[in-house]
Amino acid sequence: MIAELGHLALCFALAIALVLAIFPLYGSYKGAAGPVLLARPLAILLFLLTSVAFGALCYSFWSNDFTVLNVASNSNSMLPWYYRMTAVWGSHEGSMLLWVLMLSGWTAAVALLSNSLPLILQGRILGVLGIINVGFYGFVLFMSNPFERTLPFFPVDGRDLNPLLQDFGMIIHPPLLYMGYVGFAVSFAFAIAALLGGRFDSNWARWARPWTLAAWLFLTLGIMLGSWWAYLELGWGGWWFWDPVENASLMPWLVGTALIHSLAVTEKRGTFKSWTVLLAIAAFSLSLLGAFLVRSGVLVSVHAFATDPSRGLFLLFFLLVVVGGSLLLYGVRMHAVRSQARYQLFSREVLLWGNNIFLLTATLVVFLGTLYPLFHKELGLGSISIGEPFFNSIFQYLAIPFALLLGLGPWVRWKQQQWQPLLQPLSMVLVAALVLAVGVLSLYQTPSANLALLGLILGAWVTVSTVGEIQQKAVQLGGVPGLFKLQASHWGMVLGHLGFAMLVVGIAMTKTFSVEKDVRMKIGDSVELNGYTFLLSDVYALNGPNYGGQAAELEVFAHGEKLTHLHAEKRFYPVTRSVMTEAAVDARLSRDLYVALGEELSGPSWALRVYVKPYVRWIWLGAILMALGGLVSLSDRRYRRKAKVAVAETGADAHA
Amino acid sequence: MRKALFYVPLAAFLALSLFLLSGLFSDPRDHGSALIEKPLPAFQLPDLQQPARIVTAADLKGEVTLLNVWGLWCPTCNAELGFLTELRQQGVRIVGLYYVQPVDAAFGDTFDIDKLRVDVQDKLAEQGDPYLFNIVDEKRSLIFDLGVTGAPETFLIDRNGVIRHHHVGDINPQNWPKIQQLYQNLLQGGTDAP
Repeated sequence: MIAELGHLALCFALAIALVLAIFPLYGSYKGAAGPVLLARPLAILLFLLTSVAFGALCYSFWSNDFTVLNVASNSNSMLPWYYRMTAVWGSHEGSMLLWVLMLSGWTAAVALLSNSLPLILQGRILGVLGIINVGFYGFVLFMSNPFERTLPFFPVDGRDLNPLLQDFGMIIHPPLLYMGYVGFAVSFAFAIAALLGGRFDSNWARWARPWTLAAWLFLTLGIMLGSWWAYLELGWGGWWFWDPVENASLMPWLVGTALIHSLAVTEKRGTFKSWTVLLAIAAFSLSLLGAFLVRSGVLVSVHAFATDPSRGLFLLFFLLVVVGGSLLLYGVRMHAVRSQARYQLFSREVLLWGNNIFLLTATLVVFLGTLYPLFHKELGLGSISIGEPFFNSIFQYLAIPFALLLGLGPWVRWKQQQWQPLLQPLSMVLVAALVLAVGVLSLYQTPSANLALLGLILGAWVTVSTVGEIQQKAVQLGGVPGLFKLQASHWGMVLGHLGFAMLVVGIAMTKTFSVEKDVRMKIGDSVELNGYTFLLSDVYALNGPNYGGQAAELEVFAHGEKLTHLHAEKRFYPVTRSVMTEAAVDARLSRDLYVALGEELSGPSWALRVYVKPYVRWIWLGAILMALGGLVSLSDRRYRRKAKVAVAETGADAHA
Repeated sequence: MRKALFYVPLAAFLALSLFLLSGLFSDPRDHGSALIEKPLPAFQLPDLQQPARIVTAADLKGEVTLLNVWGLWCPTCNAELGFLTELRQQGVRIVGLYYVQPVDAAFGDTFDIDKLRVDVQDKLAEQGDPYLFNIVDEKRSLIFDLGVTGAPETFLIDRNGVIRHHHVGDINPQNWPKIQQLYQNLLQGGTDAP
């Protein structure tokens, strides 16, 4: 009964989305206020109906209703309640329902927070979001209905949730990631609304910016959590695999990062308009492409949901309508828009343009690396695979000019900058960065030219120049109290850049100084790695609610003193007949100690894999810092100011 | 000119969709072997039953042969033995390529060919012996050169020692007719492409 209620709510939601896709756009085309005013209540109703549907599915999982196919395939009566809730989005069908919940949530948020926007623009934005909603609701209802029943022959118990997904990280990773993916739909809708109206003024950029920042912030956290989860659950000590599905999330992130920088130029200087619009379309298109790649079975991946060509066809058709349609509109409308502003070769505009070029090159690298095997095969050239070395080496080279530009950017003024005044402070920054990098490295080894040195120099360059720029601002604004006058978005930038520096240092240090050892140990044996002694003190049988297996207790000593205690598990989930590693991690800012328990060998003894990974935390902390930067930027007061009513000058601009 | 530039993204996207569309209808796991129509890679590996005898690519020439990659550790391979034995009784020439799994000396494991010979003999006596002889690839060098992704896999090799077909997975009564056709074509003297 409850499941049918959810199904019904979903059907109503599709109908509402259809109305939302048609009326407000019609109204804004005709200039009629009535149909446009419909948009807000419709958007809110859409969200409420979807919440009912989502709640119904949650209830089905909560109450172990195995007459619902989705519950029977992805849950089990022995599963703890919190994992039963995460099982809601553990399957293709459930995750699509979560996806539309988020999409309708963003739509409702736009409806509620867009009071200050001109009515006609509201209608267009919500109408475009309505079209996107129609596509996804149609996909959920017709291609992947989460409420399908198993009646009349229902199983007495479910097949259990994939044990990989039974982890805290998994509870929040997909929602955050989807919030990011779907959030770019709002930037996309802003771009399309602007294309429809032919208006790209700085007001438009200022309205679009916070939405883009919010989506980017969620995506950053989502990717970071995914990486952290893989590190803990997969037992291989890695944090990024260049798997097609990881790449599918990285591409919108890279383009989204380019977009928030390009939006800054459009807001402050009124230029880069066609560029910004294209990036906004690209960010969402890549989110859609990611959804297509994951759910169509075109690529082989550990993340991919079951393959089904009819689902792929639906998504491809949707992709053609949304992306093809928007790019066509872009071609028709955009060439008429010209930017008026002038700037010199050495100016912040050009540096931000450089930032965009590097981010887009990186996106292209990921894109080609992910899809090249597909192209190669479909052209009849046979199968190839592209792996880590390709991505790692290219990203290493891209990071160098990118980080150098990033350190330089905030020092350079809009329009034009004389290079002489920058020479002295920047050479001081450079010297300080070199001293810092070499100093830190000599704590670890003799400073030799390797990846760690490179990473430290780049990280120190970005950090010192960011701090230096703040210090310069403090001098200009009259001492430290003057810093309070800085806009929140400036502080956001500072945090974001420091986060990037941290990320670079973390990656370089982990890549260079990680050590690992595969050992066979009996109880009482110890192994030494990088000055740490790991003593296996006990191994015993595990008895979890829905799993068995073994747990190992280890004591870690350094310089003869006890440092910490580690608890590693190897779980066996009988329902799905799968084995899972729960790695034991002792995390510090400067290093992680990581132990994964392996097979039991004769003896009795156990195979263990022991790692010492310096600075690996910095990778995720860097990402968190970047997201925090996004959050601080969002709090900037100017995004909450009432928008000035469109000025005459902008109209002229659009029809120039 | 400037106007046309704004249609470039659309053109690029449409080209991409074509690839995605054709990708939808092909199985990503189905990959053609890069070795089709190429001669068998050179190798010198011992015969399992008579380790003194070294088998080379030349030994597989002269007759149409199925080279079957298998191992005792692989349940599907063991299930396949019965049907392959029937094929041998029908006169199909099958040579085994024994896939030795990596052993880790750190865990005290060693490779013992004498023990393996006995185990294989027992298994073949019990399940049926389809093989003319078995090649032991202790270091998996030939297996690597052949691009084997798992076991069982089977290669169809013509009289000139050229690989004509690469089959991934077991051979069973359902999929044999297709391979049989290629096999018969080669038998009928055709060096023509199958």
